[in-house]
Amino acid sequence: MKTILIIGSGIAGMSAAISLAEQGIHSVLVSPFPSERSQSVMAAGGINAALDHLDEGDSVESHIQDTLKGGCYIAGQTAVEGLCRTAPDTIRWLESLGTVFTLNKNGKIDQRAFGGQSHKRTCYAGSSTGKQIVSALVMECRRFEAKGLIERKTWYDFHSGLIRDGRCYGALLYNEAFRTLEPIYADAVIMATGGQNALFGKTTGSTQCDGYAAGRLFMQGAELKNLEFIQYHPTTLETSQKRMLISEAARGEGGRLYYLENGKRVYFMEDLYGPKGNLMPRDVVSRAMYETGKDIFLDVSFLGKDVIDSRLPEVRDLCKKYRGIDITKESIPVSPSVHFFMGGLAVDNQHETNIRNLFAIGECASIYHGANRLGGNSLLAAIHGGKTAASCIANRSEETAAEAPDFTDFIQAENQKLSDSMQSQSQFPVMYIRDLVAENMWDLLGIVRDEETLDRGIDELTYYISIAEKIHYDSSVLAYFNYSLVGILTLAKATLISAKERRESRGAHYRSDHPQTDEAFQYASVIRYDEGAYTVRLDKEGRYER
Amino acid sequence: MNVKIKRQRSPFSEPYWETFAYTGSPDASVASVLDDLNYRDDITDIDGNPVPRISWECSCLQGMCGGCAMVINHKPALACETFLRDLGDELILEPLSKFMVISDLVVDRGVIQNNLLLTDSYIGQYKPSSPKEYEHQYAAAKCLKCGLCLEVCPNYTQGKSFFGAAFANDCYLVATRSGSFDTSIQKEYAEHFAKGCSKSLSCVDVCPMHIPTLASIAKMNRKA
Repeated sequence: MKTILIIGSGIAGMSAAISLAEQGIHSVLVSPFPSERSQSVMAAGGINAALDHLDEGDSVESHIQDTLKGGCYIAGQTAVEGLCRTAPDTIRWLESLGTVFTLNKNGKIDQRAFGGQSHKRTCYAGSSTGKQIVSALVMECRRFEAKGLIERKTWYDFHSGLIRDGRCYGALLYNEAFRTLEPIYADAVIMATGGQNALFGKTTGSTQCDGYAAGRLFMQGAELKNLEFIQYHPTTLETSQKRMLISEAARGEGGRLYYLENGKRVYFMEDLYGPKGNLMPRDVVSRAMYETGKDIFLDVSFLGKDVIDSRLPEVRDLCKKYRGIDITKESIPVSPSVHFFMGGLAVDNQHETNIRNLFAIGECASIYHGANRLGGNSLLAAIHGGKTAASCIANRSEETAAEAPDFTDFIQAENQKLSDSMQSQSQFPVMYIRDLVAENMWDLLGIVRDEETLDRGIDELTYYISIAEKIHYDSSVLAYFNYSLVGILTLAKATLISAKERRESRGAHYRSDHPQTDEAFQYASVIRYDEGAYTVRLDKEGRYER
Repeated sequence: MNVKIKRQRSPFSEPYWETFAYTGSPDASVASVLDDLNYRDDITDIDGNPVPRISWECSCLQGMCGGCAMVINHKPALACETFLRDLGDELILEPLSKFMVISDLVVDRGVIQNNLLLTDSYIGQYKPSSPKEYEHQYAAAKCLKCGLCLEVCPNYTQGKSFFGAAFANDCYLVATRSGSFDTSIQKEYAEHFAKGCSKSLSCVDVCPMHIPTLASIAKMNRKA
């Protein structure tokens, strides 16, 4: 019987596990903490599907076109078609598992407007769509756990892939409770580890998503794609502990962005793009905000207390709790901040990487979103990706784990490295380097980039990588923080190189020295690592998503 | 402000207390205080002695994941939404006492999920319920499984027979939506909740998601 190893237990990982279990396939679902702690619970806005419940003439074709256009035409058309065509079934599936969607007065799932979309297409569950979906999927996973088809392992971190000659045979995991490395052999491995937030320190997302897995697999031969496309969400609020997301729902419900000039409000997005200007795609809004050079505010107060209480309670509570702002009376000071990574592990339409039997889904995979993701498409992609990878694996007859080569030497060497680092008496905090890199990345990979700055960043990262393996770290922090550093630094450098090589502006990647979109670059970028050398190419032959 | 933390290096070692000095803003959350203490170049206690960095669990940092549940000045709460301005002159942090300590303020709350698994708390065959239940179901499904309700409960010890409020809310979700387990979940509820609950309702007060657990209990009791 096949065993599939899934690393990450958020919505993508659980969707894959459930889909495999429905086909009678056993999976091991690994994560440091339970699914309730995953970043998926933070997805407040919603999930897109052309249900056309509102009789607005929406269609799957429109959803496809909006997604391709939002992604600036570098996402794979067939892949996006698959995502959007299955979306209505995905919503029905979630409903059948008990997801409590918000209903309209006709008793059908309500939908609201999100940025860059031609119709009201975003289904939602109050102000906690991600959390409601997680709760439903956790229960469904539990049903298959009871049957022995899903086996959960918590307190485990990813360490490295068990990869030989372009095939993956499992993964080496670090057990936080017993502080040991353990190999798990599997017929396929599905990565569902989320985005590379740690490159920027604290983002709007979870502190648990750091990009290490993608960085480490990159060093082990997996190719990465579209790393330069980093979504800055236009509306985030500064607080003492992080920048917090003000959901796009606030603008979907009618919220207006403005700045003050001589005491008067300038609704710059409406001036630039007309009445729907506040709901332009996120890359367009963030850049327009940046270009004003002013402090920007979001006003929802005119919607009235009833609308705010019923449609935007999460925004209301967040502003009150962390900043003391009453949004029924005051505007919210907002600015763009890193929110989502369109880039990640390069996968084909079946979600398989260039390493046989190694798959990636959810935000750690680069597929569907091109140069800019539309709000409401990430939850959809997480579920669709999980199901697609599971379906591919189920239809594959080979049983790889049975043929696994001997990894004993590799495991022993990694164990030795770990043991040496844990015996260190140094007080040097590994988090100090992570923070330094994050600070630099904010400066180097902002909304607007140029070659000179990127070159400087690449030099800095080269230096950090050169010292990272030589320093003895503080062994009182988790071993994971120690061993993950080089993978994270390598991913950061790959991101800067990818941004340098795309000498044009497209979607979330804006170059002040190449401000025009160039047709010659209308392809995904792919980066490869080979013993310290990084090579970037454009995917003109369509090796990955098509 | 002095920050007194109950520490423990591993599940198998003895706990001890350590005190730190914090001089930041009163508007800081407890999560920010822990970050501030940890990410100094050197971490020292109030007497200047070098000490290990403080382990604590976090993910969302905004009250949506439940990771940072701990005991703050003798009350169970989330560190990311408890602010110094609402506390006294001293900050005292302890791990949740009803779960095994992994390290410092990090505990293993796996018993919550294990008990739900043992009692077959899942929907199976979906049975759409009356729309008038939606609001309550939405609220119950927001449970973070953070363990604050179990920490504060006078009846919950280690989850061996009485499973607490987190379990009662999931029972309600199953009972109102399952066509295959709606009856069996009643029995599990009677055995692992109704029999042991003395209705102190401290769980309702402490819940960071403000789940109407009393309504879940009332509806389950009515079905019995």
